Amino acid sequence: MSRREPQFNQQVLVDTTPMPADIPKVAEIGATSAPLYSAAYFIGDRCQAYNDDFMKCKAESNGRGELECLKEGRKVTRCAASVIKDINTHCLSQFTAHWECLENWNHRLWECRKAEKELNACVFDKLGLQKRIPGAVDEKKPLPTHSVYSANYKQC
Amino acid sequence: MGVPFEALLPFGIIIGCFGAGGYGLMAVKNWTNEGKRARWSRDLWDRVMMERDLRITGTMRGQSSNHEAPPGFELSNPWKLEKRIF
Repeated sequence: MSRREPQFNQQVLVDTTPMPADIPKVAEIGATSAPLYSAAYFIGDRCQAYNDDFMKCKAESNGRGELECLKEGRKVTRCAASVIKDINTHCLSQFTAHWECLENWNHRLWECRKAEKELNACVFDKLGLQKRIPGAVDEKKPLPTHSVYSANYKQC
Repeated sequence: MGVPFEALLPFGIIIGCFGAGGYGLMAVKNWTNEGKRARWSRDLWDRVMMERDLRITGTMRGQSSNHEAPPGFELSNPWKLEKRIF
């Protein structure tokens, strides 16, 4: 992020000008922070090609990426929305249990391993997406079955 | 020689006051966080995401797992305005 975050802002500006008509409409993602974090690894698994394409476009467009990468950005949004829609259709109870646990435990993944294992199993069975940690030293290493440092005793 | 009961009164007052303060704070914290545990140690990303949650759900700690945002959400992004110093 090259932009400096404003520190002493007194007011905000909400720009309600809609997008130009020639740009195809894509609905924004309606999932909030905890469900998005819960689904993040599955979004990454299905959408990695689109995401990498978008980041490459942004890196190569010399600071005009917001305008020139709209097409790639739309693909990213559509792909992520499709993953969330599929998880909601097939694994709603496990998904809800996991993100409610995350929301209650300050979005710390290691407090919610039990719910996460059930969600991972369901998503892998129904959708074929699996959690892989990008850049991990040993990607084949299984997730820890329980967390030594967890304060959430129900999930140990 | 038993301890006279007057010696234990201050302990009752101390325990009662700390208890009222602690449970009172707990109740207020729970109430402001809509029955959930409070978020803590939030960085810029967390704050921005919580502001986005507020715009989607309308409450501070509300969550939603819909795949499509409610209408009007895409035009509700606030730009922070700041006076130029130089």
